[in-house]
Amino acid sequence: MTFLMIVLRGLMRRPVRTGLTLGGISIGIAAVVALVGISRGFEKSWATGMKVRGTDIVVNNMGGSLTPTPFDAAARDRIAHLPHVEATCNLLVELMGVEDASMMLVSAREWGGYEWGNLKLLSGRMPRDAAEPVVVLGQGAAEILKKKVGDPIQIDTRELSVVGIVDGGALVENGSVILSLPLLQEITGNQGKINVIDIRATPATTEAETKELCEKIDALVPEAKAMLAGGHIGNSQAYRFVQAMSWGTSLLAVLVGILGVMNTMLMTVFERTHEICVLLALGWKRGRIVRMVLWESALLGLLGGIVGVLLGVVGVKILETTPAIRGLLEADLSPELLVTSVGIAVLVGLISGLYPAWRSSRLTPAAALQS
Amino acid sequence: MIPPGIFEAAGLTKIFDGGSVHALRGVDFRVAEGEFVAVTGPSGCGKSTLLQILGALDHPTAGTLHYRGKPISELANPSTYRAQEVGFIFQAFHLLPTFTALENVQIPMFETRLSAAQRSARARDLLKSVGLEHRLDHFPARLSGGERQRVAIARSLANEPAVLLADEPTGNLDSENAGLIMDLIGSLHRDRGVTFVLVTHDPSVARHASRTIAMKDGRIVT
Repeated sequence: MTFLMIVLRGLMRRPVRTGLTLGGISIGIAAVVALVGISRGFEKSWATGMKVRGTDIVVNNMGGSLTPTPFDAAARDRIAHLPHVEATCNLLVELMGVEDASMMLVSAREWGGYEWGNLKLLSGRMPRDAAEPVVVLGQGAAEILKKKVGDPIQIDTRELSVVGIVDGGALVENGSVILSLPLLQEITGNQGKINVIDIRATPATTEAETKELCEKIDALVPEAKAMLAGGHIGNSQAYRFVQAMSWGTSLLAVLVGILGVMNTMLMTVFERTHEICVLLALGWKRGRIVRMVLWESALLGLLGGIVGVLLGVVGVKILETTPAIRGLLEADLSPELLVTSVGIAVLVGLISGLYPAWRSSRLTPAAALQS
Repeated sequence: MIPPGIFEAAGLTKIFDGGSVHALRGVDFRVAEGEFVAVTGPSGCGKSTLLQILGALDHPTAGTLHYRGKPISELANPSTYRAQEVGFIFQAFHLLPTFTALENVQIPMFETRLSAAQRSARARDLLKSVGLEHRLDHFPARLSGGERQRVAIARSLANEPAVLLADEPTGNLDSENAGLIMDLIGSLHRDRGVTFVLVTHDPSVARHASRTIAMKDGRIVT
């Protein structure tokens, strides 16, 4: 018999209670995995989208809303001539209800802008000119909207036609409805306005030069902020709010887990007062008793963490295949996140076991002889 | 010259509940190495309190107790003393219900440097020596009272202690099993040379001892 067996036997004394406690921790850890994974996945998919488009700098005003605030399209003229700027592309990006889908990314691009060139046509054709009342759909968006080439599509009050299905190379692009800039400006009443300028730097531009370019753009376009592509979404107040909500919810779930384990371990110590006294009478040192309680709670955390990670991964995978969300969500379930989550669970177990362990160490062995 | 006793107590006093209960009132006694001493007396006379102090489960309010010439109050770690020097046999057995007989006997050995295999082998030998080789994997609930006490006796010998302290070891047994347990204790004392201090209110049990200390109202009367 090993010390670990003694610890396991302690947990198996009340299998239902142990199981329920495991369930509590697991749900907390599953929430951490799912919420943080989705939040990170969102940021990562935007970064990938930027990389695929060949964009190095994004100029926008994210402010507190989910999409950037519009500003004058002429702002681009102030920065297009700057050194290290190879190409620019004006965009108007909105999150809008499109037919049955409550929220779709509608991405309008300046006609002839470099970002059209990154779309790989899967079926149909690209728009003929900026004024043609048509859209192309990312393949994910086509699936969500159940549209094929030739179908009509209602965007706000305007009926357009789907002329092509494209592969944008990234989740954000594939989940988008893509059209020419003037069309969306007209639909949303933002004539002459854009809310994003994507900039591609010349090939040999160093990171330091790119940062310097951002500073110059900030000086010339005070109504927006230039940021390195990929990091820009992380600077959005709305995204930060969502991220804070994710961590806040996760923290709450973890706190509930801590209380659950602490309750179980306290009950265990109370129930086993007599046994602990016998162990002390038989010569066990207080340190070993403390270790036994802490090992039990840490093991509860470890098992809860493993089950929680599995639950979280399965939950996210189910979410990703849900028709309403498919194509919009790609969680970043990195090994680092999964290992960290299990680590959090073990820490939760250890923290929860501290007070019960301290209580157990205060017991006196004399009580064992009295019954 | 009288050899030093394994236990030497002088003026041992124990007061509980802020002075309202005087369990021991200045007890003096000496137990020699290898001796079998029975402490007798009616309920509440202080004999169990005395046993707890001998086993470092409790400490006296006043007076001194020496173990092999050293004051017990100066022990760096009473746990080590309990683990290595003394073995306990309780009236209520106090076996751990979620562990088998074999595992219960191994429990005290966790405070030694024995490996898991060595612990298991020693526990088997001990259970065999008390006639329970056929009950190794039985949980306490599936053992008779006499068998439980034999497991407890095997457990008390786990770390080869110099002293065994027994508190009413036959108190929960019928007369037949009580006789068997006392025979076992007697043979352990003879064969292993262990010092025995046994607390009992039963004169027939006390007769197995080589010397009897009678107590009344917290004092030694004979």
